[in-house]
Amino acid sequence: MKIVGQDAQQIHEEDDSISLCSMFADDESFGIDTGKIREVLGKRDLERVPMAPAFVAGVVPYRGDVLTTVSFRALLGLSESAEAGCVLVLEDSDGEERFGLLVDTVGGVVTVSRKMLEANPCTLEARCKWLFDGAYKMPNGLMVQLDPEKLRPSRLAETGMFKQGAMGENA
Amino acid sequence: MIWVRRPDKRDVDDLTKEFIAESQEGLDRMERCLTELEARPEDCEQLVGEIFRSVHTIKGTTGFLGFSRLEKLAHAGEHLLGSLREGRLAVTEELISGLLRLLDGLRAILTLIEETGGEGTRASDEDGALIAELAALNCEAAAALDHEKAAPVVMMKAAGEVEAAAQSTAAQVHAAASNDKTLRIDVDVLNRMMNLVGELVLTRNQMLQSGVEATNFPELARRLDSVTADLRETVMQARMQPVGNLFGKFPRMVRDLARTCKREVRIEFSGQETGLDKSLLEAIKDPLTHAVRNAVDHGIEAPADRVLGGKPAEGCLRLKAFHQSGSVVIEVADDGGGIAIERVLAKAVERGLVTPEQAAEMTEREALQLIFLPGFSTASAVTTVSGRGVGMDVVRANVEKVGGSVELESKVGVGTTLRLRVPLTLAIVPALVVRSGGQSFALPQTTLVELVYIPTRDAAQVVEKVGASEVYRLRERLLPMIWLDRLLGLKSATDEHGFYMAVLEAEGCKYGLVVDDLLAPEEIVVKPLSAVLREIGLFSGATVLGNGTLALILDIAATAARAGVKPVIEDEEEQAAEAKQKDERSFLVFEDRARERTALPLGVVERIESVPLSQIEYANGRALLQYRGELLQLRDDGRVLDEMDAMQLQGEEVAATVLICGDARVKGSPRMGVVVRRVLDVSEGTMLEKDVANGDVDLALVKEKLTTIFRGFCANGAESWKEVA
Repeated sequence: MKIVGQDAQQIHEEDDSISLCSMFADDESFGIDTGKIREVLGKRDLERVPMAPAFVAGVVPYRGDVLTTVSFRALLGLSESAEAGCVLVLEDSDGEERFGLLVDTVGGVVTVSRKMLEANPCTLEARCKWLFDGAYKMPNGLMVQLDPEKLRPSRLAETGMFKQGAMGENA
Repeated sequence: MIWVRRPDKRDVDDLTKEFIAESQEGLDRMERCLTELEARPEDCEQLVGEIFRSVHTIKGTTGFLGFSRLEKLAHAGEHLLGSLREGRLAVTEELISGLLRLLDGLRAILTLIEETGGEGTRASDEDGALIAELAALNCEAAAALDHEKAAPVVMMKAAGEVEAAAQSTAAQVHAAASNDKTLRIDVDVLNRMMNLVGELVLTRNQMLQSGVEATNFPELARRLDSVTADLRETVMQARMQPVGNLFGKFPRMVRDLARTCKREVRIEFSGQETGLDKSLLEAIKDPLTHAVRNAVDHGIEAPADRVLGGKPAEGCLRLKAFHQSGSVVIEVADDGGGIAIERVLAKAVERGLVTPEQAAEMTEREALQLIFLPGFSTASAVTTVSGRGVGMDVVRANVEKVGGSVELESKVGVGTTLRLRVPLTLAIVPALVVRSGGQSFALPQTTLVELVYIPTRDAAQVVEKVGASEVYRLRERLLPMIWLDRLLGLKSATDEHGFYMAVLEAEGCKYGLVVDDLLAPEEIVVKPLSAVLREIGLFSGATVLGNGTLALILDIAATAARAGVKPVIEDEEEQAAEAKQKDERSFLVFEDRARERTALPLGVVERIESVPLSQIEYANGRALLQYRGELLQLRDDGRVLDEMDAMQLQGEEVAATVLICGDARVKGSPRMGVVVRRVLDVSEGTMLEKDVANGDVDLALVKEKLTTIFRGFCANGAESWKEVA
């Protein structure tokens, strides 16, 4: 599956480099393909939605729409951060579902070579295995690649893995 | 086989799309004309001309678009219509039915083209039969002008009708599917919108350039406000569609149904021009169709029964749309048999919806409401229970989904009226913004009955407990209280001042929602929530408030259901209110004799006049006043006039206060004037029973003070007031 994805990418970019937007949750660094990010909203205060699944951080207004925002910390099973996080606006490939992703901070755009990507370790926990899409071996540590398709709220709700409050989460 | 394209909407090019939209409209027009033609054959020439044009246009356009199947069928139809236009054929039932089938055939092909991009030649043999039938009608009808209708033909026709009815509903479903996505807008409206958008951009530019500190900022903000309001209004206007668009479907449906059910039905419309939001129009389409179908099927009786009941054989179905207090009311009224209450009750008892004891106590109105209960109305229940009812619960649910309501009125033997009440628009609703647990929520104003402030010091006293649930005594009725923060699992914020309770009512549930604070009422723009959040089921949407933050819109009915509030039948309260009104009435309290409170029922006092003493004249020892060309007798029980005379002698200019009284209920009774010292108050009061203690003076308690009722206004005045009271 990964190979197919890579092929598609290579049509757009002749060489095997890819630009990722780096972001942080706790101390770990993650990257999402910049082509799949619509906008980085920066630090935002979210309106919480009572009774919503644990992975929903809240809603945020965005260009006349109300975006459901996924808390990445909740997905990882981390406790809620005291500070306001950054919201990224992501879009699925059909452009039908738009949603927000709440992370601690957003780094910058990094260009990496596909050759640096390595698949998930087999010892990874089921939830993370589902979320992560391999890791890039960067000079200053690893950067985990995320697939926005899998972060869609409707998809997350379908899997049922994240419905309950994550460990350490007192939602 | 290879050329058969996969059904894909994207295959349909713009030209074809336009053709389909135009043809659908033409066919709608044709449908209307056909039903009209049947009702008014005298307008034949004009109507047939119209129909002919629709079919001809379709035929002409299909020629160059290359839809040969459609062209062939249209051609056959045109030929028949041509004969009709030239007067070689007479308008008969069969002819109309044949033309309606032609219409269905054309519509079916159009739908096919819209869905698949091709007209599907494989099914072409179907058309053959239709074309043959049209041809047969053409020559046969011409030959059979003076023939009597043969029995077998009628039989065949009846079978065909049922089929046609089935087909037409299918066609309508498809037509609806295509109408959902397109909307015709007056170019003027679009231009106005564009202008306003331009204005909006200009205002934004100015704002960006000048900044918040600029002196003209308030002015710019005001301009932005007015431009936005105008733009909103224009967009709303563009979304408004006349209800007539929806009504247009019904003549045909009623005609077909009437045939199938062997009824004679005339359909009448009024208020077709009433505008309604496009999305709402779509939302009420099904409920309305249902109501019309019910009215024809179950409401209107068979012609023979109608004649027996002293009514004309032809039943009348009236569709009426009008505005009423911010909402649009659509009425479906028939003059049929009405709903027999006792049978409704019997059915409800049989189905275990109510106990026989409950049924015995029910008022007519309550019994009618039973029809809306899910489970009451299955198909068998309806046909046996004379009234309408197939899925009335669905009708109500659909209308309530868009914030409307349904009322039913019925009189046995006279008819039934179903009233759908829907808001003008869905997108913008007035709401009250409240805060609870540190978050803002919007409550739609339509569900809000009243607000109660409960200071902390009173809280322990007014919030009473029944078991574990808390209730509030609101005008001697116990209202269940729901704490919003607790329900939603929010951190409750304790406020030393107190809290507010919003009394809400939705789908028959009435409860008090406790919130921390009230913010301003606002007109909110409803934004849909994503599927994941919709699943929670408590929020109907979200909105951006004036301060830029988001607020969730609370679904009042769902909240009630979540908290376990059950619908209550509200009649008790209304009756109580009525009863209260019965012994309470308004009095005008005045003083005529010194220090004595006297009262007149407010209804008989027409005016209070201040009359200069010089205008009061005397004749035969009685005081008289010329008042608006009438001679009024003045009653002066308290000798006020004598006192005033004395004052006037001292050189003061005085005016007497005169109550002009007349009894509107007693015709021809003369009006009279009552001279009083001063008018004290207008207030509610209770008449006291006449007994020995108060002699033969009528007394009343007004504001808990004893008050004499003024007598002698007319001999039996007090009596008649009492009777009315």
